[in-house]
Amino acid sequence: MCESNVYLNKAGQEELLMEKVDRIIPAEDGSIFLENVFGERRVIKARIIEMELVRHRIVMEETSDAAVAQKRQEIWLEPATDHGHFHAGEEVILRVHKGYNMKPGDHKPKTDLQAFGVSEGMSRPLTLQEHHGNLELNLGQEADGLLHIYVREDGDHQLYGVIVMEIGHHHHHGLKPLGLPLEIVPADYSHARMGDSYEIRVLADGKTLAGIRVSATYAGTHNREYPHHLKTDEEGRAKIFLTARGNYLFSVTKDNITSTFTLVKSF
Amino acid sequence: MCKNMPPLELAIQFHGHICPGLLMGIRVAEFALKELGISPDVDEELVTVVETNSCGVDAIQAILGCTFGKGNLIYKDYGKNVYTVASRDKGRALRIAQKFGGNRGPESQRFRELAQKGNLTADEAAEKENLTGILFERLMSAPFEDLFEWREIDFVFPEKAKIHATIQCAGCGEGVMDIRAVDTARGLICPTCLEEKGGQ
Ligand SMILES: [Zn+2]
Ligand SMILES: [Zn+2]
Repeated sequence: MCESNVYLNKAGQEELLMEKVDRIIPAEDGSIFLENVFGERRVIKARIIEMELVRHRIVMEETSDAAVAQKRQEIWLEPATDHGHFHAGEEVILRVHKGYNMKPGDHKPKTDLQAFGVSEGMSRPLTLQEHHGNLELNLGQEADGLLHIYVREDGDHQLYGVIVMEIGHHHHHGLKPLGLPLEIVPADYSHARMGDSYEIRVLADGKTLAGIRVSATYAGTHNREYPHHLKTDEEGRAKIFLTARGNYLFSVTKDNITSTFTLVKSF
Repeated sequence: MCKNMPPLELAIQFHGHICPGLLMGIRVAEFALKELGISPDVDEELVTVVETNSCGVDAIQAILGCTFGKGNLIYKDYGKNVYTVASRDKGRALRIAQKFGGNRGPESQRFRELAQKGNLTADEAAEKENLTGILFERLMSAPFEDLFEWREIDFVFPEKAKIHATIQCAGCGEGVMDIRAVDTARGLICPTCLEEKGGQ
């Protein structure tokens, strides 16, 4: 590699930060010094997230407090059970979390948050309840089949959290997208297990979103940042090999929308 | 959902954690099932000879059902990742040996370093978790022949485990298998008593 262009990943989109960089020195305080062949210099609070040496391309992500605070706003849904999933006949309760990287943060989800259950293309509002300081969705013991549920929090930065759960044994093929402004959909809905390769698609208003970064994490990770970063291909698809126990969370941000998808695994 | 656990999950449940050694054992067990065309053992139909006492052996116990308790897991303290799986019904035995260098590389080495370290910092715990993920994908998706070599061998099946009578130790009064009791001046005593007080 000679010199490279350095890009900043901002909300999933890449922005050129500096051209023909030939020196990069990371400092201990988390800042990075950059110098290019024209003698320009910059210091930025960032971390390197991708280096494509053959294509002379380096992608960074800002880690300044303001940038991180903005990013640490995700909402997601998790089954409120100690073993991560539900069996037929069990009371199905989902919990709404707000935070980042599957770690609930200091901010609670707004109480005017809305929840919807979708089946056969029909969406119906669901009632959220406050339970021991948590926002919960109680779907009762009769919940059965494939449940496709999402929550939405409005604001300057709009947040979505989607979950798909199968209660009981059924055979499903394909899952219809919800048609959200930004959405992660399982490519082919089936039981996902450790050791499987799992594919998702990213859609914006029902249309494929190519080349966008999707982050993936799992319950109980020791990583402060998302441990996995994927990028969608021309068809908006991205794949991950599932190596951790428990449920996974996928997250995508574009412009002022962040949308998550919780993958419920049986192990 | 929790019933009919796939081999991988059985092994992880049994062993507790996920580690490269266990994953190698899972590969061996799954290969043996397929190659010999057998089902997991119920009643000592299978015998496995293991030449190591490391993590991989737990995958053999969990997946193949060759267990310490049933006596169809034979341990040879050779310090080698070699597993011989034999089926009485098929009259066949497969000796599967991990290739030298099959589970090497900087990630494996760093993983071992971290696994041996007692208290991990938060960063090290995250690093170990990420290495587990990398090695998991690699070891579970590598072609079997990249990791192991195998051949059929002649195998002399041990007799099925015998049920022995239990007698009472003249020393401590506890029950002991008759063939383990030692005849002394005080009568038949158990190995514990023999070790502690000699024949006294
Ligand atoms: Zn282990
Ligand atoms: Zn005794």
